[in-house]
Amino acid sequence: MKRVALARLVKDRLKAEDLVVCGLGATEAAFKAAGPVGPTYFASDPMGLWPSIALGLALARPDKRVMLLAGDGDLLMNLQVLATIASAPVSNFRIVVFHNGAYSSTGGQRLAGGERLSFATIAKGAGFGWALEATTEEEAGRRLDELFSRAGPALLDVHLEDEPCPPVPAGPWSQVEERTMFMRALLALDGKA
Amino acid sequence: MILDHLKRAGINLVASLPDQWLGDLIKQCESDPSITHIKLAREDDGVGLCAGAYLGGRKAALICQNSGILVSANALGGIAFHHQIPLLVLAAHRGDFDDNQYYQMYKGRVCEPVLEAMGLPHHVIDGPEQLSLIEDGARQAFLSRLPVVLLLRRRALVGQ
Repeated sequence: MKRVALARLVKDRLKAEDLVVCGLGATEAAFKAAGPVGPTYFASDPMGLWPSIALGLALARPDKRVMLLAGDGDLLMNLQVLATIASAPVSNFRIVVFHNGAYSSTGGQRLAGGERLSFATIAKGAGFGWALEATTEEEAGRRLDELFSRAGPALLDVHLEDEPCPPVPAGPWSQVEERTMFMRALLALDGKA
Repeated sequence: MILDHLKRAGINLVASLPDQWLGDLIKQCESDPSITHIKLAREDDGVGLCAGAYLGGRKAALICQNSGILVSANALGGIAFHHQIPLLVLAAHRGDFDDNQYYQMYKGRVCEPVLEAMGLPHHVIDGPEQLSLIEDGARQAFLSRLPVVLLLRRRALVGQ
């Protein structure tokens, strides 16, 4: 499966009031190609911190579904955060891992752990009650339905083709400006902006 | 009590990693039903958590040892400073004149120079009489959209 296909499967299941934190690089390019639905916070460097940022957002907004779209290299950089997430009261928090086994934005270097790497197994070991893998598009769609239908924290590890991805160029807005726009979008959802 | 000052600052979400001097404070966070306490395994996840909470409109604090500031340099610079996201850090200021272990000493020596190099506001709390600096520090953080680091000496955390 190509990563844009996975981004579309996720998008099809999102509502306008869902909050998304989206990993940088190839994951960002795929989700932007699919088209974000509601307020979406796009990651910057440093890698590795976006699971905890999404966790903080989920803790602040228990009334919203919070979804983290995580690149595999990004998540691998900071695995202990899965134990923190598993222990946190966040039934509204779900993670989809875009797992192509490579650092796509930097030339496709393979990840440590290689073909045997399983984020679902790691998440279960960290205490997640629900963590599964998917490889085909049909399976990913079915498992995404399951992911959304049950309480978090939960993680779906989706294996993807190893496609190259050129570095994403700087957009028109800095992270400070994007941060302000995201917070205003959230206020608008609440009817306060 | 430190926790009362945090509450008065509007903070009811705390992420922590233990230190010997922080035992009582973390126990209070655990047992207070008005506080959401999250267990970290690495300090920079606390910077991320506090940042994410701010995006959602909730004020949060990270409680850790000052070595956690060193671990968190990338997160403080790349997330909190670069995105202009405020948070409060309460760190046990290990390794200064009031400490008693060889391997703590580097922390006392390098933590403040690192914070200065990063341009991050920080204040030292010497003892219990200065704990209102917690409310002041939180106010400074949320008004300046920057992380503010409070370095707490032994006397402020464990008395003697």
